[in-house]
Amino acid sequence: MYEACPECDLLLKPATPEHGEKAHCSRCGYLLQRPRKHSIERTLALSLAGLILIVPANLLPMVGIKIFGNSRDGTLWSGVSALLKEDMWAVALLVLFSSVLLPLVNLVLAFLISLHLYLQKANVHLIRWMRWLQHLNEWAMLEVYALGIIVACVKLAGMAELRFGFGLYAFIALLIVNAMLSNELDSYLFWRRIAQLSKKS
Amino acid sequence: MKPLNTAQKQGFIRCHDCGNLIKSTTEALCPVCGHSVTARKPHSVKQTIALIISALCLYIPANIFPIMSVTQLGVAKTHTIVGGIAALIHSDMVPIALLVLVASILVPLMKLLGLSLLLLCVHYQWQTNARLFTRLYRVIAFVGRWSMLDIFIISILVALVDLGGVAQVIAGSAATAFAAVVVLTMFAAKSFDPRLIWDHQLSYE
Repeated sequence: MYEACPECDLLLKPATPEHGEKAHCSRCGYLLQRPRKHSIERTLALSLAGLILIVPANLLPMVGIKIFGNSRDGTLWSGVSALLKEDMWAVALLVLFSSVLLPLVNLVLAFLISLHLYLQKANVHLIRWMRWLQHLNEWAMLEVYALGIIVACVKLAGMAELRFGFGLYAFIALLIVNAMLSNELDSYLFWRRIAQLSKKS
Repeated sequence: MKPLNTAQKQGFIRCHDCGNLIKSTTEALCPVCGHSVTARKPHSVKQTIALIISALCLYIPANIFPIMSVTQLGVAKTHTIVGGIAALIHSDMVPIALLVLVASILVPLMKLLGLSLLLLCVHYQWQTNARLFTRLYRVIAFVGRWSMLDIFIISILVALVDLGGVAQVIAGSAATAFAAVVVLTMFAAKSFDPRLIWDHQLSYE
């Protein structure tokens, strides 16, 4: 049985790289496979950790400022609501989706998929979830938001007093967990397991 | 050189979503994941062109109109994207200015030019540098989301600096246009099919 490179359509014999090795397409160099040890278990654990961390990261204040005795705290949500107040609803929606909703949706999807694969339980929605996860992944922009926080803080440091809240620490932890999650999730393995499961049922 | 074969020439189609290889003529839907089966992304070139043109049109208001206005002690100043970068340089924040310059000017421009170059490569069936063009495509696809940086900075500033006449940041109309440019170029990169670069390469047949 053959497989094809998604970026140049070259017909290939499926490589069987070891854990930690990488298989590239011989023609265009596309990263075909990158197997990870215990990919399913680690994805399950990391997505659970992410789901726990996303709560304080969203609800607790991240950065507070103090100008002339007036202080304000900002959470992930306050940017969205401030933009909405100024009638910038399109930008507000985009920020809401890319910094709050889609990171949450991705964690929920990764958790559900890895839980079902871990328990070897078939589910009619498994395939749909995996497809959504693949397509929505690039629209969750936590790491870009983190850079935004850094730049905004540097800009404000000159004119105001800054305070960092617990929400920021939760956000940083969430960022790390998210990066590890996308590193451990082996979509090649996941698709194969999902195909096996749905064939059985 | 050993002759190389593509899936399409051998009558196979790779499912866009799950990677399953399907005999071209037999199925309309992928038997594994149920996605509709097409050898290449449908209308890839047309869609990419349309999205690039829309993004280019919006790139103009995004740069002409103010992206935010900053009030400090009753004095209001409006900034365009370029003006904001100039202001950062004036207040001795050159590294931050460079970061914003890359994220909000160079990256969108590079994406628009790069995708246009890829479309030219496909249209004129250029025979050289297919690997390089594929790499360009990967860079474009990877780098796109980082343009959102400016939008996030604005959303954070707007939320934090809100003290009426004393100090206030208000988002400007260019923010919406710029956000649209980012989204449209991300969709443009997604709708381009890199396999089109390889389909006309004679030397690999």
